[in-house]
Amino acid sequence: METNTKNALSSKVGRRSFLRMAAIAGAFGATSAFATSNVTRKATEEEIKNPFPGSKLIKTICTSCSVGCGVIAEVQNGVWVRQEVAQDHPISLGGHCCKGADMIDLVRSEVRLKYPMVKENGQWKRISWDTALDRITKKLESLRKEDGPDSTMFLGSAKFGTEQAYYFRKFAAMYGTNNIDHQARI
Amino acid sequence: MANTWGYGAMTNSLGDIQNTKAIIIFGANPAVNHPVGFQHFLKAKERNNAKIIVIDPRMTKTAAKADLYAQIRPGTDIPFMYGMLHIIFKNGWHDQKFMDARVYGMDEIKEEAKKWNPEKVADVTGVPADKLIQITRLYAKSTPGTLVWAMGLTQHSIGSSNTRLAPILQLALGNLGVEGGGCNILRGHDNVQGATDMCCLSHTLPGYYGLSKGSWGYFAKSWGVDYEWLKGRFKSEEMMGEKGFTLARWYAGVLAGKPGEDKIKNAGTNLKALVVLGNGITAIAQQAKVKEALDNLELIVLADPFLNEGAILTDKQNDVFVLPAATQFETSGSVTATNRAAQWRNKVIDPLYESKTDHDIIFELAKRLGFYDELTKGMLLKDDPKTAKPVKVKDEFQWPEDATDEIARTIKTIGLTGWTAERLKKHSENWHMFDEVSGRGHGPMKGEYYGLPWPCWTTEHSGSPILYNINRSVAEGGMGFRNRFGLEREGVNLLAEKGSAPKGSANKDGYPEINAENIEEVLGITLTAKEKSLIGKNWKVDTSGIIAQKCMEQGMAPYGNAKARAIVWTFPDRIPLHREPLHSPRQDLTKDYPAYEDKPNHYRVDTQYISKQTEKDWSKEFPINLVTGRLVNMNGAGVETRASKYLAKLTPEMFCDINPGLAANHGIRDGAMMWVHSPEGTKIKVKAKYSHSVSEDRVFLPYHFAGYFQGEDRTGNFPQGTKPYASGESANTVTNYGYDIVTQIPETKGGLCRIEKA
Repeated sequence: METNTKNALSSKVGRRSFLRMAAIAGAFGATSAFATSNVTRKATEEEIKNPFPGSKLIKTICTSCSVGCGVIAEVQNGVWVRQEVAQDHPISLGGHCCKGADMIDLVRSEVRLKYPMVKENGQWKRISWDTALDRITKKLESLRKEDGPDSTMFLGSAKFGTEQAYYFRKFAAMYGTNNIDHQARI
Repeated sequence: MANTWGYGAMTNSLGDIQNTKAIIIFGANPAVNHPVGFQHFLKAKERNNAKIIVIDPRMTKTAAKADLYAQIRPGTDIPFMYGMLHIIFKNGWHDQKFMDARVYGMDEIKEEAKKWNPEKVADVTGVPADKLIQITRLYAKSTPGTLVWAMGLTQHSIGSSNTRLAPILQLALGNLGVEGGGCNILRGHDNVQGATDMCCLSHTLPGYYGLSKGSWGYFAKSWGVDYEWLKGRFKSEEMMGEKGFTLARWYAGVLAGKPGEDKIKNAGTNLKALVVLGNGITAIAQQAKVKEALDNLELIVLADPFLNEGAILTDKQNDVFVLPAATQFETSGSVTATNRAAQWRNKVIDPLYESKTDHDIIFELAKRLGFYDELTKGMLLKDDPKTAKPVKVKDEFQWPEDATDEIARTIKTIGLTGWTAERLKKHSENWHMFDEVSGRGHGPMKGEYYGLPWPCWTTEHSGSPILYNINRSVAEGGMGFRNRFGLEREGVNLLAEKGSAPKGSANKDGYPEINAENIEEVLGITLTAKEKSLIGKNWKVDTSGIIAQKCMEQGMAPYGNAKARAIVWTFPDRIPLHREPLHSPRQDLTKDYPAYEDKPNHYRVDTQYISKQTEKDWSKEFPINLVTGRLVNMNGAGVETRASKYLAKLTPEMFCDINPGLAANHGIRDGAMMWVHSPEGTKIKVKAKYSHSVSEDRVFLPYHFAGYFQGEDRTGNFPQGTKPYASGESANTVTNYGYDIVTQIPETKGGLCRIEKA
């Protein structure tokens, strides 16, 4: 098993990582590691019943496969806090596979890309969006001028929303090439 | 499929499978790949006593639920289906009435089927003759039956023939256009259908309009731009009509000119830049070539929520840009499920970190490239009913609603007129008001089907849950086959015969697709002078909406009522014919069933068929069949699913399913490392996993892994904090050369390999 997987899933929590977790839980002050101080208390019945007061339920659709299962996302203060199956959805009927049930973790995964980067002399370097977009388009413009629009290949996605897919096709057309494709080909 | 009856999409729906009496599955594994959709299969079995039949090289988890299972040799679906047709025709189990009224060219199929007796089929496919007979009898006698497939049928050099013969089998049995019947293709990703309908594809404009000058003109008008301007963006008008490179072979566009590489025709240039939005390019066949191509590009742009592993596969040192894209939960818009039905996906949260939505990235690039106004202008326009021409109605667009409405007013070919943002939102908001089997709405949603499955001809139309169903009126989603291939061929009428029009049709016979010339005669109506002045040239470009409206009033489909066809005279094989894979374990059969002639300029690349097949006897050195596929906890290239610690834990390592008998002969123990070598000279090092799901002549590899390359650990190349929770060799490093003759889909489901203890 990959070491970071092992660490992430380890049931034996080392003291160091425990302290790290304790720090994450900082909003609630110290944790039971410091149980001598009287900072934890039993949750009230209301808190157990409704741990995310003021949250909203949003009906949306799983992004995994083409079945199109319903997803109920619970959002509090702009944070996706819980995911529930959609019992009344006419296709999924309250079902979820392991991938669908994991949508919340997909979005909140710690290994997501967080900012634009460029590889320079073999090293990854953080850059701003403006820098990234300016540099990319400058290079595209010069290739377009030197070698023509067909020197670029655009690969879109079966994960696009339909509107995004339409706009990516239109983008390639206005760039001036039919070198555009996506996963339906494979 | 589109070449058989007009549209290339799932004909029925997952819920409708509950109406079936028999389900035959070729090269799909829904128990693993569409687990929630598979619930409907199991309900058919439980409630309707439907039989499940699975034809697959591997004893999959779906096969484990089957009443009958045939372990077929990869790449021999055509002999198997002809074997079925042989038995069906011999016993008179076919539906002659249906064939006479609604199908063209079945006589040639009958002739070909005569050649495939069960013994011959057994020799070629490896399925015993009595098993073929048993399956055929059960399937032919249990009607209605539905035929299901996925990538197991398409990813072959003869994939486009496979996907023609499967519909022909259904046509022979009269299993089309009925509840519980149809060809139910299971799409992979969540929006393969939508992104395909919008044609992020190199051979056509959105809505499958093609690349003709007329199509470009239609879109220029719809987008509100000048055709001459659009033309000026291309190298030449000729290049506007040329199909581009594909996802399967773009690498050839970079590598052309190097020794041994296929030649290209790309407006005089190689590919020098690659811009990728949401596409795991480590799931493409020929990974070694993909890597070499990446190394040779001048610019690589990869925009994804997670690191696209193309970024760590390449040794390119500069100008590799990685952009954080938002997930689909951080934006909103429509998504089309496998059954052609749309759902509105509501935004859950704002884009996290510095990530941007895909459309914002596209818009930002367009701004800097100087065509943002042209790109977005279509969202400001509406068709003026007085002139039937688009006019500007607002100064600022609202994403995504204005884009949804722009698509609805433009795409007539597949009937998206009724897909307005307002209607789609209403459906998803009220999803509890629809029936799980029929999709019918009740209460306020009465008279509509869930998600308005296309074609949805008008803004009042119900949607069409079952394609080609003449037992319903057009207003309720009924229709005949599409008139797409002319009116007659070799003296035979290509329109449907008398009496086979949809219920309630004013015209009871076959009729052609509707255009401005024939509308009055075919529909039996008289247009006013005003209507005549507004109407478009034909139903596909009629922005006045008059053709669709008049058709609805007469109970007729704008696209006509024609026959499906078994003969496609424009394809290299008029009828589907068996051809051995380019790398076949049965060299003796390659003489009788040779690959196609090599094809020049196939999506801009010269592509080898017969020359590759006859280069040498591949099976001597590479005697084992190689099959790839998916795992229940993973999706596509695995970029997203391996970024989940929980999903990654289920399969933390890349592995190879191997029969213990085969493994023992090579001294490979369960859990030990082994090498898989390909005819291309590439290799991967993976863990052996003993399994009886594969026979001794083949191995199975899941294709979701990346990060290792030919034994080398490249995970050190991940930028800090982006490494997924599982990495491994990509199966596609060893999938073989080979591409479909029409679509160019890679032949990943029937190559060869050699194995060795590591």
